[in-house]
Amino acid sequence: MTPLRGSDGPGVLTVPPMALAVLAGVILLLAPFVIGNYWIRVVTTMFMFGALASATNIIAGYTGYPAFGNVVFFGLGAYATALAMTKFRTSFWTSLAVGIVICCLYAAVIGFPLLRLRGHYFAIATLGMNEATRAIVENVGFTGGGMGLSLPVQRGDVQLLNLYFYFVMLGLLLSAVVITSCVISTRLGYGCRAIRFDEEAAASCGVPTTRYKVTAWMLSAALTGMAGAAYANWVGYIEPAAVFDMSIAVKMFVMMILGGAGTVFGPLLGALLVELVGLVAWTQLLNYHTATLGVIIIAVVIFVPGGLMSLRRGLTVRRLLDNVRASRL
Amino acid sequence: MLILQLIINGILVGALYACVALGFSIMWGVMNLINLAHGTLIMVGAYVALLLFTFGGLDPFLAIPVSAAVTFAIGYLLQRWVINLVIRGSVFLTLILTFGFDLLLVNILLVLFTADTRSLTPHYSGLGITVADLVIPYIRIGVFAVAVALTYLLHVFLTRTRLGNAIRSTSFDREAAELVGVDVTRIFPLTFGIGAAMAGAAGVLVALTYSFSPVLGGAFTMKAFVVVVLGGLGSVPGAVLGGLTLGIVEHLSTLVVPPGYQEGIGFIVLLVVLILRPAGFLGKPFYAEVKA
Repeated sequence: MTPLRGSDGPGVLTVPPMALAVLAGVILLLAPFVIGNYWIRVVTTMFMFGALASATNIIAGYTGYPAFGNVVFFGLGAYATALAMTKFRTSFWTSLAVGIVICCLYAAVIGFPLLRLRGHYFAIATLGMNEATRAIVENVGFTGGGMGLSLPVQRGDVQLLNLYFYFVMLGLLLSAVVITSCVISTRLGYGCRAIRFDEEAAASCGVPTTRYKVTAWMLSAALTGMAGAAYANWVGYIEPAAVFDMSIAVKMFVMMILGGAGTVFGPLLGALLVELVGLVAWTQLLNYHTATLGVIIIAVVIFVPGGLMSLRRGLTVRRLLDNVRASRL
Repeated sequence: MLILQLIINGILVGALYACVALGFSIMWGVMNLINLAHGTLIMVGAYVALLLFTFGGLDPFLAIPVSAAVTFAIGYLLQRWVINLVIRGSVFLTLILTFGFDLLLVNILLVLFTADTRSLTPHYSGLGITVADLVIPYIRIGVFAVAVALTYLLHVFLTRTRLGNAIRSTSFDREAAELVGVDVTRIFPLTFGIGAAMAGAAGVLVALTYSFSPVLGGAFTMKAFVVVVLGGLGSVPGAVLGGLTLGIVEHLSTLVVPPGYQEGIGFIVLLVVLILRPAGFLGKPFYAEVKA
């Protein structure tokens, strides 16, 4: 496995100064009361993608297993929650727990065979897993098939609901950050990074590689599933094509790489930027918005392959050219 | 009789699948590069044939060289000036880069041709031969024949010519190839170009078989994945075996499972093969596997 670029080592978690963190916290708490509903939705989406990119980061960024089809847990979480709520009439929080448990189990069961594969093969196997799961959900009766599934209508003021989901997604994002930053300084975290650099070496030093890989994927799956569950409740209607959508998976990946794979805050930064660019492109260049995104992705991969977090020490033309020189043929 | 018809259809489509996957397979095998824009290059080939057919009245089968030339040029330039810059980076980067290129290409196709579904209908479409109860459209036979011919040509090129041998040696060991004088900076763009040309040619065959639109490329990239993994990386006979297997399995599966599962079947087969035999039916240790 080629190691991912990006900063690493024990000093990977550079917690911003306390004052800055408090300030950011206050802004995030107060912002929804100031900005309009449109921006609340935009920021809520950013939170969701931030959490998704962080979840991908655990298995792909830290452990080095490119789980390209991780969106399968987004869909599973959404469907598990929606089914629990519609068929068994459980509350949102109980259904969320159901979703998490199902995603964890799925990751564990499929992880043992799949995590033996490396590199492209693993990436493709996860992709196949997503497509196969989608085909099953589309065709079995109780999920509503391709017609999709409507969740119980949320009663209450639209304004309040917007605020509610703003804070649900914010909570999700914070859990993703907290889980990531806690895990990386544990045995598991060190083990995962060791696996990424050299799996054989890690195993010969006594790292239980299989168990760590599966655990890391379960964590990633749980967070992704939570996001799916929250999303399902937020939009109120899900269908296989929307929640098992590979473009969500690719977005999570792009955000992670753009921000910096294997860093705590990189995926958040990536999510913020990709969503902002997407927004500007949508409003300003309607017909060319995917092309814009495509060009940005190409430019990022060429010039800042280590992600934006690798530019913390300053951005110079020379550094960009050095990046190109490092991986050109 | 139904089973026989299904197997025939499976073989006819399977040859097309092999053709769709070949370009993808050699890029992956030689450069350890997964080209997520492969399906969209196939669509480019389809649209070139559509243009020539609508405005020049050119028979789609004769448009194949033109389509292949156009996608060869796109592929060569892309590899020479863009992908070569990052090819030594991690597998993530090239994966994401080709995805970015795919977004760009789909957008260009959408602007040029709109999202409307098109189809290529030469005057002999709809005609076919009937033997006993078996129906085989002429177009399917033509597509099959061309797919087989293209596959054979690529095989001969890779195994019998100097350039083909240079490409194959690069896929076995890049450094060793460089030591014996292979110019890898030139071989990589050529490999991508040839892979893309195969995609363009396959695009014409796809356009003759299905209706198409700019956003359908992804579905063919997926097919290519399945075929390559089934048959084994970078091997022409492997792609043929993988393509035929997928075509036949997809068609026969309609006997036992509801048609909605047809798309998913390929992926279930893929997962099983990956778990049991990650190198595919005919896979040998290639550059990608040694390095990965």
